[in-house]
Amino acid sequence: MSTSKHPIEQEELMAYLDGELPMERATETLSHMELCPECQTLATDFRGVSQELLAWEVESPEAGIPSEITAALGEQLQKREASKVNWPRLENSVMTSRWAWAGAFAIVCVAVGLTLILIMHNRNEDRSTVYPSMASIEHYLMPDRNAEIALARSAAPESISSDAKVLVLGWRGYETAIEGRNGFVCMVERSWASPFDSAEFWNPKIRVPECFNPAAARSILPLTFKRTEMVLGGLSKAQMIDSIKAGFDNKELPAPEPGAMCYMMSRAGYLNDTLGHHIPHLMFYFPLTDKSSWGADLPDSPVTLNPQFQGGPEPITEFVIPVSKWSDGTAAPAM
Amino acid sequence: MTSDEALMLEFQGGSRAAFEELFARYRKPVYGFFRRRLNNPERAEDLAQETFLAVIRAASRYEPRASVRTYLYGIALKLLAAERRKLLTSSTSGQPAAEPKTDGTPECVLWVRQAMEMLDAPEREILMLREYEQLRYSDIAELLRIPVNTVRSRLFRSRLALKSYLKWEAKNNPALRPSAGQPSPGRRGTQ
Repeated sequence: MSTSKHPIEQEELMAYLDGELPMERATETLSHMELCPECQTLATDFRGVSQELLAWEVESPEAGIPSEITAALGEQLQKREASKVNWPRLENSVMTSRWAWAGAFAIVCVAVGLTLILIMHNRNEDRSTVYPSMASIEHYLMPDRNAEIALARSAAPESISSDAKVLVLGWRGYETAIEGRNGFVCMVERSWASPFDSAEFWNPKIRVPECFNPAAARSILPLTFKRTEMVLGGLSKAQMIDSIKAGFDNKELPAPEPGAMCYMMSRAGYLNDTLGHHIPHLMFYFPLTDKSSWGADLPDSPVTLNPQFQGGPEPITEFVIPVSKWSDGTAAPAM
Repeated sequence: MTSDEALMLEFQGGSRAAFEELFARYRKPVYGFFRRRLNNPERAEDLAQETFLAVIRAASRYEPRASVRTYLYGIALKLLAAERRKLLTSSTSGQPAAEPKTDGTPECVLWVRQAMEMLDAPEREILMLREYEQLRYSDIAELLRIPVNTVRSRLFRSRLALKSYLKWEAKNNPALRPSAGQPSPGRRGTQ
C-alpha cells in the first residue's frame, strides 16, 4: 500500500481500529477508508484476527471471594483502624503536654490548608484559562466536509447511519449534507453542547459524533441548533442560559419525546481532554427526573447520569448506558 | 458507575465495599490473564489471588496517576515473570517444565493457541495485552518499558502474521477452525 495512493500507513489504519489515533488523524483515516476498498479489506482482515482471537475464552474462576483474600482484607482494614485509634495512645505515652500537640496540630492544619487553597486556586485558574473564551469559528469547523460526514456516520452502526440524514457544521450553523431515509440524524457536536460550567465549553478540539433517533431528532436536536445559533451569534453564556430558559417557558423548545435516544458509538470522536475517545454508549432522554429513577450511578449499575443538561438550564435528564462494541463492530475496552 | 480509580481511593480510605467492587470487576479478567499464559488452572487461580493480595497490601502506595487496570496488570506481569522463572529453574533441562495438557480444549481455542505460539514471545505478549487485557498502547509501553512506537510496530507485525496464518489455515486445514467453514453466530468470519 503506497503512501501516494493511500494517505495513511497500514500501521496507522491498525492504530485507528484500536482507537489509538489522534482525533484529526482518525477522521482523515475514516474518510479515506470510506473510499478505499483496499483499506476496507485490510481493516476487515484486522478485525477478523481480533474476532478469531476472542474465541479463546477462559472458564470463570470459583464464585465468591476466597477466604485468603477476605482474611487479608480484614487484617488490612483492622490495621488502618488501629493506626487511627493509636493516635491518642501515642499522645499519652510520648507527649507530656497536650497543649504542645494541639499547637503543633493547629500549625500543621493552617499550613496544609493554605497549601490546598493555593493549589486549588492555581488548578482552577489553569482549567479556566485553557479555554477561557470562544476561539475563532474556523477552529471549530472541519475543513474536510467528507471527513465530517464520515465522522458523523461513525456514531451509529452502518445499518442505521447509512440511511440517516447527515448534518455538518458550516459558518452559519448546521446544514444538511446528505438527506436521510430512516428518520435518524447523524452529526458531530462541538464543545458548546457541554454543560455551561464546563471548563472545556470552548475547547475547539471537541468532536462528538452522535446519531439521534427520530424522536430525539425532533425534540433534542433543536437544543443543539439553538445553542449553535447563539454561539455563532456571539451571545454570552448568561444570555444563552436566559434564552434557553425562555425558550422552554414559551414552548419554543420542545420537551423530550418518549423514546428519544441517541447512539454514540464512534471510536473516532473526541469528547474532551479527560475522556478522549471515551467508550461506546447509548443515551436516553427524559424530562427532568431524579437519577435514582433509573438507578443511575449506584454500585454495579451500568447506567450513569450525564450532567450535560440536568436543569442547567435545559429541563432534561440524560442517562448513559455503555455498550460493548464500537459502531464498526469491534470490541470496546472493557469497563 | 464509579470509576476504578475512585474505588481504589475509597479502598485506601478504608472501604471494604470498594475493594469488593474492584474484585468483582477484575477477578475474571485477572484470572484470564494467567489462565491464557499458563496451562495450569490451579496456578492461574493462585496467582490471580496473589495479585489481589498484593493490591490489598500495597493499597496505601497506589497513586491515581496510573489506571487501576494498568496497575493490576503490572502486578500480574511481575507475578507471571516470577512464576516462569520458577518453572525454568525447576526444569532439569533448562527449559520451562512442561505444563500439563488441558483435556477437552475446544478446537477453536487450540487453533488460537497454535497461532499464538508461532509469534515471538515479546510480540505475543503485546498482542495478548492488547486483545485480551484491552490495554492501550501507552499502557503496554509503560508496563513492558518499551517505546510506544515499538508496541505499535510489534503489534502490527504479529497481527499481519496471524492474518497470514488464518488464511493458510482456512485453505489447508479448515477442519481445525470452526469459523472457516461455518461462521458461528455473533462472530465475524474472516474474509
